This record gives sequence, structure tokens and C-alpha cells, in this order.
Amino acid sequence: MNHQVSRRAGRLLLLVLATGLLGIVSPRASASLRTTQAPLKQIKIDLNNKPALRNGALYVLHVCTACHSLQAVRYSSLTKMLGMHKSEFLRDIGTNGKHYHDLITSNMSPSIIKAFVGTTPPDLTDIARRHSPDWLYTYLTSFYVDPSRPTGVNNTVFYNTAMPDIFAPYQGLQKPVIVKGFRYGSPAEVAVGVKPLTQGSMTPAQFDRTARDIVNFLYAVAHPHQQQRERIGPWILGLFVLLSVLTYLIYRIYWRRVITSKERWWKITR
Amino acid sequence: MSDKKSLPVAIFDWFDARLPISSFWRTQLTRYPAPKNFNLWYFFGSLALLVLVLQLATGLFLAIHYQPNPDLAYWSVLRGIERDSHWGWLIRNMHIVGASAFFLLVYLHMYRGIMYGSYKKPRELLWLVGIFIYLVLAAEAFLGYLLPWGQMSYWGSAVVTNFVTAIPGIGKPIAEWLRGSFVVGTPTLNRFFVFHVFLMPLLLLALVLVHLIALHQVGSNNPDGIEIHENVNETGWPRDGIPFHPYYTVKDLFGVSVFFVIFFWFVFYNPGGWGLLLDKLNYTPANILHTPSDIHPLWFFLPFYAMLRGVPDKLYGIMTFAGSFALLACLPLLDRNPVRSIRYRPVLYKINIFMMPVSFIWLGIIAHGSATEQNMVFGLHVTEVFYATFLFLPFFNRERSLIAKLAWFLVAEMVVWGIDVWMYSIHAHSWHLMLQTDWIPATYVLLIFGLSVLFPSLARDSGKLPERVTAGGIFH
Repeated sequence: MNHQVSRRAGRLLLLVLATGLLGIVSPRASASLRTTQAPLKQIKIDLNNKPALRNGALYVLHVCTACHSLQAVRYSSLTKMLGMHKSEFLRDIGTNGKHYHDLITSNMSPSIIKAFVGTTPPDLTDIARRHSPDWLYTYLTSFYVDPSRPTGVNNTVFYNTAMPDIFAPYQGLQKPVIVKGFRYGSPAEVAVGVKPLTQGSMTPAQFDRTARDIVNFLYAVAHPHQQQRERIGPWILGLFVLLSVLTYLIYRIYWRRVITSKERWWKITR
Repeated sequence: MSDKKSLPVAIFDWFDARLPISSFWRTQLTRYPAPKNFNLWYFFGSLALLVLVLQLATGLFLAIHYQPNPDLAYWSVLRGIERDSHWGWLIRNMHIVGASAFFLLVYLHMYRGIMYGSYKKPRELLWLVGIFIYLVLAAEAFLGYLLPWGQMSYWGSAVVTNFVTAIPGIGKPIAEWLRGSFVVGTPTLNRFFVFHVFLMPLLLLALVLVHLIALHQVGSNNPDGIEIHENVNETGWPRDGIPFHPYYTVKDLFGVSVFFVIFFWFVFYNPGGWGLLLDKLNYTPANILHTPSDIHPLWFFLPFYAMLRGVPDKLYGIMTFAGSFALLACLPLLDRNPVRSIRYRPVLYKINIFMMPVSFIWLGIIAHGSATEQNMVFGLHVTEVFYATFLFLPFFNRERSLIAKLAWFLVAEMVVWGIDVWMYSIHAHSWHLMLQTDWIPATYVLLIFGLSVLFPSLARDSGKLPERVTAGGIFH
């Protein structure tokens, strides 16, 4: 009796303790490093949208690769992803004079680019695994005019980025939407959005489409096996679910000799 | 002619006379008595063994394609293994998910041992070998993490090898000896590769073998913690024992199937594990000139990272971190109560054992947050709770008098507040900051000893143990 009461009291105490702890565990915002974040724009990735992927490939392989490399990717590995034949790929997208099976390297030498912008541009192979697609999309579309920077531009999600606004001819220039906020804990004026300043060669809708296609392509390059994974996945999981059911039944059959199902109590064996 | 053997039997007998095949099969499997009341918690040991085999198999294929050279390592993983070789992505994903699965299973396996007192006599050595397995596993994971040569790999290794320099006098030479260089560089990568694929797996296999031999020498414990070998029938077979094979082999097959469903879900649908199984920063090649703003280990080391961060001194931090391993190893010395299973221990003991993983996970959550002073102090105070869950174990060894309870309470509170006074005296933290979280260990001390004073029955062993093992729980 006494044992029963203490068992119950124990369970009650554990419950109270657990719920109390859950309340405390929730992480607190740290005051000392607070930085006002610009909201990220949403993007939907579609690996089956071949025209979008081809459009993205066109921009990445002809504009981005001026400075950036995709060192782990070969031109030849893109054709399947883009749903093209080799001849179509060579005709419509091309290899910048490199061999079809070559790795995608930047057209300028890294040392020259470093002299231009002060840093080596990151390789784009896995940039969509390093950053989320939403972040990349927001980054590409959120350059704003900032005369204090050597490049003349800054970025809402990557403060003091070294990358120049190479989209300016297409998108036009943009001005920042400034709010009073924090940067690394100190009060500062923070850009949380952008507004159009000048008109580029593309309409806003066209440019938005282009930026989305670029991010879509970068995501596809960074996740080359995602479609294969998700095609095989259900079969493998299904196999093991089936095996779980079968092995559970075998287990019950064997253990019939050990436990009686009625009382869930041990039969004495041997 | 009944004594004429068929050819396969004759061949088997030829081998059996020269190798202990059938006797091993008999003594270790079909006639090895396992308690019949194993529950869900008893799946994790065999699953950990399975993951060890998986890691060795996938690791073999990775090592074939990997280049242990700083100029090539990063791209040999992301180009050579993931993109250029057939099914390389699958092998690598399995190895990544396998590493995390290994730790999860080992943590659960250890906690099973803690709950059911599997470290108590006669299984102290079994427990100690297990702790060594955990240490070697931790070393194996740490060494392997450098190999992809990403930013987090590089800086994580730099931070950990730097810890060693905190040891007075000999620290610096040892760190240089470990790295083979003044910083993490080519020699470091080469030796970490060799240790990861050769030395540590060998040690791990040897220790696992010793662990199994020790287990079969003393026999398995069970959720009731009563010795099945003390109640045998006339043939000497334990009345509560069943042959390991076929009963537990079929049961473990079920466990393996369910485990693979979860394992392969991660492999096929979430190989990065929300950035927890593989840090996103590792998709940037290591850059010796660019230190990331936040360096942190993978999830399974996060609690220890919070301990290190919580102490405002490198050497004391390492001692705190190493101390938690020492406490685990010392469990058989701390908890000397003859009752093994948590089922027959008092309520406050149950709470204490429950708080062990709670504070451990809590430390992990804190370490996952940014390295603010607030988080560091928070980590320090939760570390005190984690330590307390071990150091309070001797309190439950027997029933304590009122004076003893009050003494335990006073000493524990004095230690808790003493640490804060010390922190304040060396100007490490302000009282304002410390008072935000030091109520956590203080309240914990108050909870355990206060309740033991007010309700002595909550700290008293009932002294009632069942004669035979009992059924209950999931998958009994």
C-alpha cells in the first residue's frame, strides 16, 4: 500500500518536474549579440521544372561563372538534370570553350578576382546546402545602393558583402528600407528591405523569374541525387516496414511459448 | 547404416573437431540463458553492434575514394564520393547518419544500464569496458569529423586540439605532437585519417569483443535487477531464463527492421538531419585565415561543449568535462545500494536518475544557442545539476538520519552558492547574471533533500524485491 502511494507520488512529481522544465528549456534571445534580421523572401523549389532549370543554368554558366566556380560539377553531368541531349546542351547553353566533361571552373583566375573584390568568391557547387534557398533568393534580389562601400552596394541579408551588384543592369538599382534596430548588440540603422530606384532592362516580374530560376538551378546542383533518393526511398522504407511486420509476427509466434497473451505474465519455461 | 554420415555433415564435423563451432553456438547462443523480461531498452545494445558493422562497411568504401590531403580532401568528398562515383552519395549518407545513430544508441544503451543498475556487482568491469568503448567512439567521431576538411571540421579540430594546451607545462608540446604541426594542417589530416580508419576501429572492435565476453561471463541483468542465476531448476537452468537463440534473435530482428525504417528515412529524405547530423558550414572548404563566428560540435558532443563553455577557465573547463566521464566510470563506486533496478528504488532516487538525461539534454540545448555570457552561466548551473545527479547517488545507499539529510542539504547548497561566490570573486560574472539561473541547482538540492526530510518515505527503500522477474512495459 505504502509502496503504491509512493509510486504514484513519484510519477506525479516526475510529471510536474518535466512540464516545469519544458518551460525553462525554451531558448532565450541573447541580448548581447542581437542583430535585426531582414525577413527572408519565400521561394518554392521545383526540380521537375526543366525550362526553369535551363534558364537558371544559362545565367549561372554564363554570368556567375565569370567569377564563381562549380568545381565539383561537370558540364556533362548537367544534361540529364536539364533534360537535354548533349547536342542540345552544347547548342543552347554551351561550355564556355571548355571540354564537355570538364569541371565548371571560373573564367577569371581566382587571384585576379581577389584583386578586384578583395576576396575569393565562394564555389557555388554546394552553396544551396550552405544557405537555404530562401536566403539565396533574398540575397540575390536585395542589393541596395550604399555609397560607403567600395562596390557602391550593400545587401540586406549579407551586410557588407564583397559581391558587386551584377544584377543592376537587369534589375536596376535599389534603395534600402531602413529601420532602427541592432547590429551585434549595438543600436544601428538596419536595412530590412529594398525599394526600386532605377529601371533595369528587365521588368520586375522578369527579373524575379530569373532570380528564382537561378536559385532553383543552384539548389538542383547542390542536391544532385535528391530525385533519385526520393524515388528509391519509398521502396526501401516499404521493404523495412514490411520486414518489421513480418519479424514482429515471427517474434509473437516464437514467444507464445514464453508469455501467455491473456495476462501478459510469464509462463514457466523449462 | 545410421552411423554413416552424409558428406555435408562429415565436412562440418571435420571443422567442428578443429574449431569450437558447435560448442560456441551452444554455450553462447542456444544455451546462453537470457532473462525473459527484457523490454524495449534492451534493443539498443545489439543495434549499436549493427551500426558498428555498418560504419565499418560504409567507411571502407569511403576510404577507397577519399584523399587525405588538404588540397584534395574537400573535393574528393563532394566531387569524387558524392558526385563522380556510383552510389557514393548513399554510402556517405549512411556513414553520416550512422555516426549519429551510433551515439544515440550508445546513449540509450548507457541509460538502460544506469536505470537497471547494470553497473553493480558483478558487472562493474562490463560497465567500465563500456565506458572505454564510449571514449574510443568519441575519439573516432572527433577524428572522422576533420576528414571532409570543411570549415566546421577544421575549426572544430583546431579548438579541441587547443584544449590540450591548457595542461600546464606539457600542454603545448602535447598539442603540437597530436597535430604534428603548430596548427591543424597536412600532418594533422594524415594522422587523423590513419587513426580514424585504422587505430580507433581496431580498438573499438577489440573493446566490443571484451565487452561481449565480459557480458557472457557474468550474464545479462534485467529490468527487475534480480539475479536469474540464483533461482535455477534441477538441471541448473535459470527458471527465468530463456535461450538467447531463438528468442532474442527473432526479437532483435524485429528491432533491426524498425531501426532501419528510421535510419533509412534519414538517409533518403533528410541526410543533413536539419543541420544537426552534418553542419551546414561544412559545405565551405576549410579556410585557415577565416575563423567562423560560431564554432560548435555535432549534437552528440553539445552537452560537453556547454560544460566547457560554462567554466571561465580552459583548464578547469577540461577538468569539468573530463570529470563527467570520470563520474560515469565511477558509478559502481557511487551507487552501492544492493538493489539494482530503478523499479524498486525510492521516489527521490527515481527523480534523480530522471534528471540525469534531462540535464544532459538541457546542456545540449544551451550549447546549441549562441556563446553569450548568459548562456555560459546557464550552462554552468545546469552542469551543476548534471554533476549533482551523480554525486547524490551515495545519499541513497542506505536510509539517512535527519542530521545526515540536513548535512547533505547544507553541504550541497554551500557548494552551489560557493561556486557562484567564487565566480564573482574572480570577476567572471556579475551577480545579476548568475541570479538568473543559479536557482536551478539550488532548487534541485532543495527538492531532493527537502522532500527527503519532509517525507522520509520518498527516500526510503521499500526493501521489497520480487522473487521472480515480472512482465510489463512495451515488448516486455
